[in-house]
Amino acid sequence: MADEPTPSYVAGEIPNGSVTAALIRDLEAAVGKRYVLSTPDELLLYEYDATIDRARPQIVVLPETAGQVAAAVRAARRFDMPVIPRGAGTGISGGALAATGGVVVALTRMRRIIEVDSENRIAIVEPGVVNLDLSKAVAKHGLYYAPDPSSQRACTIGGNVAENAGGPHTLAVGSTTNHVLGLELVLADGTVIWVGGRTRDLPGYDLAGAFVGSEGTLGIATKIAVRLMRMPESTRTLLAIFNRIDYASNAVSAIIAAGIVPSALEMMDRMIIHAVEQALHCGYPLDAEAVLLIEVDGLEESTAEQSEDIDRICRDSGAREVRLAVKQADRELLWAGRKSSLSALGRYFPNFYVLDGVVPRTRLVEVLRASNAVAEKYGLAVANVFHAGDGNLHPNLLFDERIPGTTVDVLQAGAEIMRLCVDAGGSITGEHGVGLEKRDFMAWLFDDADMAAMSSLKVAFAAGERFNPCKAFPTHRGCGEVSVANAQRVSARLGEDVYV
Amino acid sequence: MSEPTVASRVDDFVAAISQLQLHASGAQPFEIDGLESVVSVAPESLAQVQKCLTEAHSSALRVAAVGSGAHLQLGNIPEALDVALSTGRLHRIVAHEPADMTVTVEAGVRLADLQHALAEHGQFLPLDPPGADRATVGGILAANVSGPLRHRYGTARDWLLGTRVVHADGSTSKSGGRVVKNVSGYDMHKVYVGSLGTLAVITEVTFKLAPLPKVDCTLAIASPSAAAAQSIISAGHERGLAVIGAELLSPTAASAVCDRGAWTALLRIAGGGAAVARTLDELHDYAALAEGESAEVPGAWDRWRAVFGPADLSLRVSVAPSDAGSIAENLDRRFVGDAAQISATSTAGLVRINLAPADDARAPAIVDHVREIAVERGGVAIVDAAPLAVKQLIDVFGPPRSDIEIMRRLKQRLDPERLLSPGRFVGRI
Ligand SMILES: Cc1cc2nc3c(=O)[nH]c(=O)nc-3n(C[C@H](O)[C@H](O)[C@H](O)COP(=O)(O)OP(=O)(O)OC[C@H]3O[C@@H](n4cnc5c(N)ncnc54)[C@H](O)[C@@H]3O)c2cc1C
Repeated sequence: MADEPTPSYVAGEIPNGSVTAALIRDLEAAVGKRYVLSTPDELLLYEYDATIDRARPQIVVLPETAGQVAAAVRAARRFDMPVIPRGAGTGISGGALAATGGVVVALTRMRRIIEVDSENRIAIVEPGVVNLDLSKAVAKHGLYYAPDPSSQRACTIGGNVAENAGGPHTLAVGSTTNHVLGLELVLADGTVIWVGGRTRDLPGYDLAGAFVGSEGTLGIATKIAVRLMRMPESTRTLLAIFNRIDYASNAVSAIIAAGIVPSALEMMDRMIIHAVEQALHCGYPLDAEAVLLIEVDGLEESTAEQSEDIDRICRDSGAREVRLAVKQADRELLWAGRKSSLSALGRYFPNFYVLDGVVPRTRLVEVLRASNAVAEKYGLAVANVFHAGDGNLHPNLLFDERIPGTTVDVLQAGAEIMRLCVDAGGSITGEHGVGLEKRDFMAWLFDDADMAAMSSLKVAFAAGERFNPCKAFPTHRGCGEVSVANAQRVSARLGEDVYV
Repeated sequence: MSEPTVASRVDDFVAAISQLQLHASGAQPFEIDGLESVVSVAPESLAQVQKCLTEAHSSALRVAAVGSGAHLQLGNIPEALDVALSTGRLHRIVAHEPADMTVTVEAGVRLADLQHALAEHGQFLPLDPPGADRATVGGILAANVSGPLRHRYGTARDWLLGTRVVHADGSTSKSGGRVVKNVSGYDMHKVYVGSLGTLAVITEVTFKLAPLPKVDCTLAIASPSAAAAQSIISAGHERGLAVIGAELLSPTAASAVCDRGAWTALLRIAGGGAAVARTLDELHDYAALAEGESAEVPGAWDRWRAVFGPADLSLRVSVAPSDAGSIAENLDRRFVGDAAQISATSTAGLVRINLAPADDARAPAIVDHVREIAVERGGVAIVDAAPLAVKQLIDVFGPPRSDIEIMRRLKQRLDPERLLSPGRFVGRI
């Protein structure tokens, strides 16, 4: 392969004030004075994402069109400043933070749903469209947008594309990558192109597929063509209650092994059960060790058959009780505990650190056990609420950052749990991305040759290190010591009903 | 000093890999578009593939990776072909985790063999392209071919979890992983899908799998018009019925595939017993409404795959799903004299047309014409097979689009000497 490009940014080489002032003038000319922010007060909101790590950009611009995005990117390039794309800032891997400073291009003003083609089940949206707003907008056609990250009331489709976001209902239908047909992109030199498109078999390499999940490092998505799905005629939700967490894990594998792929298959452990029960009184037995929330959808006949099978498999695996809900209101009741789990936890612990690891579904029992043991070793409380059906663990380490030394323990425990996932044949992230946080774990999964091949995409998109430098891959020379997220906090901005 | 000739470079190559004992002198040469490989090798391990590519690289030989040879007609005419690297001996199923519904295989595993092994555990990889009986998994990926199951299950990319490849210089890399959900690193495996071997040689692949449906049957509904047959497919799709494959067949295609002489909706209905029963009921109603005649036609899909393999002239039109029916009808009307057979996976906007023009000289005009029809509706047309003389005159992919420079840079970065099937891809990459 051809030679490595050298990164063009070095931490600490932040341009001096007069350069910044000149750049601000150019940006104001491009997007209007109101939409260029540079005072410390204005920048405050953009120092964060949903991690509590922070990094301050020099400038934030809020363009309204692809043309304005392109102009902003060109201006930043003239002054050799990196560009950090940003959606709603709900990311939990530090992806939207300006790690080396630079210009944040916030896409929240680009929130038009440009077209809904209900017959062909396609929508073309701007990147700032909030995930749930798209599903709401197309509901009148009996359609919905399937990937439903738990942050869907706040997060943007652009951010979902960058992270290849998943959600409780991506088990059967796949993550964001399976629902994106094409993208309009602004590249590092300010050119605007499409990769992929509304028709499916466009000749050429699948660049749209390569872009999804690239964490804002290859370009800025300014339009997104997504696939919509038809709402199923019937949905059934089951809640299975277990006295042992192992039984619940075994039930997960048994359901999959029986050839049933539910639309959602979520697990909550004792800690979560207690938290939501006290907060909400949703009827979870306090002496249970785990509950599974399982949903199937499709034809009435299929969901009836599948829910019976699931009921039986859960009981055979040791469930002490299985509840079934068919009507929308009853189903929502079963989901209530799941959806409020994080805010419920927040009442008891000032901080929590959400991990995002993946293991083969057949290894859930042992990895959950081992991961809980790691938390115990560090004297940390842990609550598990996660996408069990695809082996996507979210251990939440609970702590109080005011107690000296705790944060270090949390980070250390988090790293050990990630390592457990890797050793079980899994991954360090199933949906939240590598970002700043897990860059240095990448070497557990990929060797230098793997990452060199991946870096060919940076060359292909001619992105260099202009977009979102120092993210997603192990720290290279230029990145210096960016302070890694020391803990996470679900920000109050997202409202009460957030859940992971 | 003059450049060493290809023949002497091949001799160097053969000498360099001789200790691997791969190059049986009787090994079949492969032919792509009239170019015959000077030497073929069939390595049986990753290390051997690496060695072959390392040596080919140092001898500056042009390499084409070949699976079963089922899809060699795809793409533009390569500029040169020195070494055919057959993956046929990379045929191990590396790991099948039934309870996890994932499988890792070497690239040369035949899809049919894989399906056989998976079926024992009630699972399958939901891909059924023409040539599926002999095609290898790696070849199917590199060609990104699909079949009727696409209606329900999408294409190879939707089931792909990760790949290992060997690069032009013999180095190897992987991306993705073996778990069903994973966002670590760039999804390099996406760009290898459909790359026709122009970026790297795929050696190992991991897929997620689907459960085999409990009941599986096939219904042909012969209808008075293309629109009527299409309306049945659309109705089933709208209602979310248990249909996993749905092809709209032109009368000529229908007579070859399932003995109907009319526009036909060919439907594969599968799932649980009750869902299938209801689906059949509703489809019969829709058929009656459209004045169609329905009949079960077991074995139709095998015939479909035979009929829709490469023909004298094969094209694939990609348009909005809502345009697929009318385009199929339009194409049928215009090319009836050229023995056109048409099958549309209409819900994916894919229209296949196989032709046997009486006179090859007509072929370029047909290609232009089909392309015009596609472009008019905002779509594209790709030539999947054509006589050599015709391929010499056209670009099978049509004009490149605005992302071509990104593709060129990707190629330049991964294969700077242009040794892997040079000229075969989009924009003659
Ligand atoms: C309570 C809570 C629950 C969550 N639940 C889930 C879940 O179930 N599943 C899941 O996958 N995630 C979940 N997340 C994580 C987060 O919401 C997702 O990663 C989401 O996709 C981020 O979207 P955003 O708009 O907030 O992006 P940001 O956080 O603003 O940015 C994320 C990344 O995207 C890049 N980016 C943003 N817009 C663009 C663009 N237009 N072009 C290029 N790059 C861009 C940024 O540079 C950054 O790297 C959760 C987060 C919280 C706080």
